[in-house]
Amino acid sequence: MIEIKGLKKSFGTHEVLKGIDLTIKDKEVVVIIGPSGSGKSTILRCINYLEQPTAGEIIVDGISMNDAKSINDIRKEVGMVFQRFNLFPHMTVLQNIMLSPMKTRHVSKKEAQETAINLLRKVGLEDKKDAYPETLSGGQQQRVAIARALAMKPKFMLFDEPTSALDPEMVREVLDVIKDLARDGMAMAIVTHEMGFAREVADRVLFVDGGYILEEGKPDDLFFHPKEERTKEFLSKIL
Amino acid sequence: MKFDFQLILDSIPLLLQGAAVTIEITAMAVGIGLVLGLITSICRLSHMKALNILAVCYVNVIRGTPMLVQIFLIYFALPMVIGERINPFVAAVAACSINSGAYVSEIFRAGIQSVDRGQMEAGRSLGLSWGQTMRYVILPQAFKHVIPPLGNEFISMTKETSLVSVIGFEELTRRGQLIIAKTYGSFEIWMTVAAIYLIMTLGIARLVSYLEKRFATDDRN
Repeated sequence: MIEIKGLKKSFGTHEVLKGIDLTIKDKEVVVIIGPSGSGKSTILRCINYLEQPTAGEIIVDGISMNDAKSINDIRKEVGMVFQRFNLFPHMTVLQNIMLSPMKTRHVSKKEAQETAINLLRKVGLEDKKDAYPETLSGGQQQRVAIARALAMKPKFMLFDEPTSALDPEMVREVLDVIKDLARDGMAMAIVTHEMGFAREVADRVLFVDGGYILEEGKPDDLFFHPKEERTKEFLSKIL
Repeated sequence: MKFDFQLILDSIPLLLQGAAVTIEITAMAVGIGLVLGLITSICRLSHMKALNILAVCYVNVIRGTPMLVQIFLIYFALPMVIGERINPFVAAVAACSINSGAYVSEIFRAGIQSVDRGQMEAGRSLGLSWGQTMRYVILPQAFKHVIPPLGNEFISMTKETSLVSVIGFEELTRRGQLIIAKTYGSFEIWMTVAAIYLIMTLGIARLVSYLEKRFATDDRN
């Protein structure tokens, strides 16, 4: 379970998050939507401390992030997938996936390789194991990035606009992988603009604007019967 | 003016010995400079304030003072503090390495900063520590970018070692001076010395462009 209490984040004098309270239960899929600049990505980036919160507390599985020593430990439990994939370009697909388990979990090379190949099979890219990232399409790179995050056997996954940098025809293959994960019971928080996908996969949808969670609810309630004016306005522009 | 070709032929063995010393001193200075530079650049980029300040001071002091003065400080002034004479070779290598380290650290810093920010974030989000991410993710990528400027630094250092002739250390330039003192053949000897430097630096330039190509292909794969 991830608990976020009173999370605030400022960049200089600009306050991006003004007080976020959010609990993500085990096996729960939470989708965060909202206009750009609303702070949705910042919430995810605060959860694994890529951004240092200005105030508030984040508790992952009972361990508070405010305890500095635990940050690396918590990051191992929380996988993150980025908009721009961020694969390591000087390593093959397999090396990308094996690096962290071997260095931080001290898994043997053989075991790391087995896990990596299993994960590649799961995302449908077993034949690309020896390829370098730049020879792959965007969709393939993002699937490798997902496999890389999963290799750490995280309890939670964070997806920061995982399909925003993709050509339209590659969006589906990535979303399908994420859907499979959801079906397997992985808890996750997803920032996305893919509303159809959000409806399908989410247990709960949050609408974030101006640094607050303005509204939340089951996907069908929020998409079809929004209560807040701002939510209605936002949805009318994108649906 | 009469051009004494025989003088050049006679001097070449001595000058080549000097050139060997120049190469030796350059190689050591660049080697130690690389290590110093790497450590300094990492201190410069780390989040520890004290290390940061130390690195900034080192770079600024070395960049902001002439190498000739640095050589004098190490060879003449330092013995007054430690109460012991310093061997010219040690002084020469120390001065050149400390000087090179400062420039190399700036080269490394630029190389490290040229690597996409997302790479550090990806490494950290996978649970790797800052140091592990540097070592396995950032530095291997930065390395490719720093080869050309490091080549420049290597070439500069080859020429700048001529400054240690002022403390009587017998590298190529000093050998030239000594031969001229006996033979008065300024023109012939300085031309020869210049030619030898040129051959050395061209050789390094070739080596650097070879390395550059090799690592460029490695990356494409």
